[in-house]
Amino acid sequence: MRSVPSAPLVGPFADRLLALDLPELDRPRRAEVVAFAARRVDGLPSIMRIGVLIIATLFRVALLVPGSSAFVRFVARTPLPLFGEYVRLIRSLGYAYVWETWPGTQPTGAAT
Amino acid sequence: MAGDAADGRRYVSGLLDAAAIAAGDALDAEVVVVGSGAGGAVTAALLAEAGFDVLIVEEGPWVEQESVRPFSLEQMDWQYRAGGVTVALGLPSIAYTEGRCAGGGTEVNSGLYFRPPVDLIDRWTTDYQIKDLDPDEIAGIADEVEQALDVGKVPGRKTPGSEILRRGAAALGWRHSEIPRWMTYPPGGDAVTGKRQSMTRTYLPRAFAAGARMVVDCRVDKLTVGKGVATGLSVRYSDGTRSEIRCRHAIVCGGAIQTPALLQRSGVRGRIGRSLAVHPTVKLSGRFAGEVNVPDDVPVHQVKEFAPDLSFGGSASHPGLVALALSDHWAEFSRAITEWRRICIYYAAITSEGRGVVQAVPGLRDPLVTYRLTHRDRETLRSGLARLALLMLEAGADEVYPSFRGAPVVRNRRDLATMQQSFAASKASVMTVHLCSTVPMGEALDRCGADSFGRVHGTSNVWVNDASLLPSAPGVNPQATVMAFAIRNVRRFIETNGRGDA
Repeated sequence: MRSVPSAPLVGPFADRLLALDLPELDRPRRAEVVAFAARRVDGLPSIMRIGVLIIATLFRVALLVPGSSAFVRFVARTPLPLFGEYVRLIRSLGYAYVWETWPGTQPTGAAT
Repeated sequence: MAGDAADGRRYVSGLLDAAAIAAGDALDAEVVVVGSGAGGAVTAALLAEAGFDVLIVEEGPWVEQESVRPFSLEQMDWQYRAGGVTVALGLPSIAYTEGRCAGGGTEVNSGLYFRPPVDLIDRWTTDYQIKDLDPDEIAGIADEVEQALDVGKVPGRKTPGSEILRRGAAALGWRHSEIPRWMTYPPGGDAVTGKRQSMTRTYLPRAFAAGARMVVDCRVDKLTVGKGVATGLSVRYSDGTRSEIRCRHAIVCGGAIQTPALLQRSGVRGRIGRSLAVHPTVKLSGRFAGEVNVPDDVPVHQVKEFAPDLSFGGSASHPGLVALALSDHWAEFSRAITEWRRICIYYAAITSEGRGVVQAVPGLRDPLVTYRLTHRDRETLRSGLARLALLMLEAGADEVYPSFRGAPVVRNRRDLATMQQSFAASKASVMTVHLCSTVPMGEALDRCGADSFGRVHGTSNVWVNDASLLPSAPGVNPQATVMAFAIRNVRRFIETNGRGDA
């Protein structure tokens, strides 16, 4: 699993989640945050990484079917067992990066 | 000793060039010390000073303190394992951090110092049948450590975040104190001007001065052990090159997760990795009227009214970490993030009854780590968070944001009841930084992985000398205890094995 890059699996969901949570975070910043989250997933300890990539694959497939926006809204707001931990991980990484890098960011993601 | 190279980079004599070694240098040493944190650095220094030929093998890089911002994501990239994203699986899972750099956890922790608790030493002696463990000897060693690390209190003003803890505890009549740190301060300095006396500034330079060598960016995959005798180590450098290191003694000081995992990968059996002990913590953020956030430092006051079961302290609170702390109920708490300068993060840490397991998994680089909280642990976390929120209110917090899913904003004592009712450990962001007890020391073979001085049971020359040896989590920051025990053990090693050239 170490050789499987996480960005193609993690990136699309991370992008959609951040767009939902922080709608005014501009696209270049969001791309930077998504890249950071993918890098951190790449560096996870072996077993955690395997688990995350399995869930990320399921989410990636879910994003390909019609109605994926409703799916993202649902998982973003519903603390599902196990799957919810993946959402929490991506959100945690994203928020930590956003406010460490641009501490003046508004709760909507808007730059000051 | 450290110095400045012509190109402006710091260098350390004794530090070997990994690229040159990877090109074909064969290494061997009388004693190989795996890991360079609080256990490994003192082990290497004392052995080298006694005349042993010592090689330190460190998985992470050498990072100068001033080159990264404390508690930042950049620091996590350079000096933490997996960028700081490591988890003991369970319900709830517990996030933990491990230093992965020269100096180990001493480079990245809060620098707070607690002497080894005497009552605990007595209990460990009895329960784990530790031979010749003399509290007076440990106290004498603690004196030495305090001198070597310049342990002392912060001169001048404390940070506002620290003052909040003092003020809240005083208002409630709760026992509290300023915890000394191993820091040095310039004349007229205050809390934010301290320089941590971590291992890269203290015991590792001592080791180099006495002739020890060190290689960084070099992971030990396994020890070569046959019939209880280690003859060498299989290592891998950061560029992927593999090599072997020959040795007469292997002393493993990789911390409470990596040490048992390495022993298991090496085929060492026994009570290894079965009894992980930690101090689980839950967090909250307090918002105050004025600016209280000092991003690069942590509060030095702690509240010990309910110790050893429960203690309160402050965490690093730069804006990224504040956002993280608020993320458990972002819909409700997010508006506070614009006022991060008025917010500090605090924790309630418990002495847990639960235990965890570290298990190496064949074919995988990293071990599986699990931890199970007991019912009592969960209830202590609940009451701890409520008491901490009360302390915040007494200290003048306008609003308190507990870090668990669906938590309410706490503005008054009535809200505290609501918070306590809605709390469940399974909804909380539980974390820990103190990891211990995966190779407990003592002669009780049914519970100990190593003997009374750290030699792994069933081996003749494989030793452990780090937090893994502590029989339980001590209820306070364990670094001083780790260092005191490591010094005690290495002195016995020197007595037993004589000088290296003898």
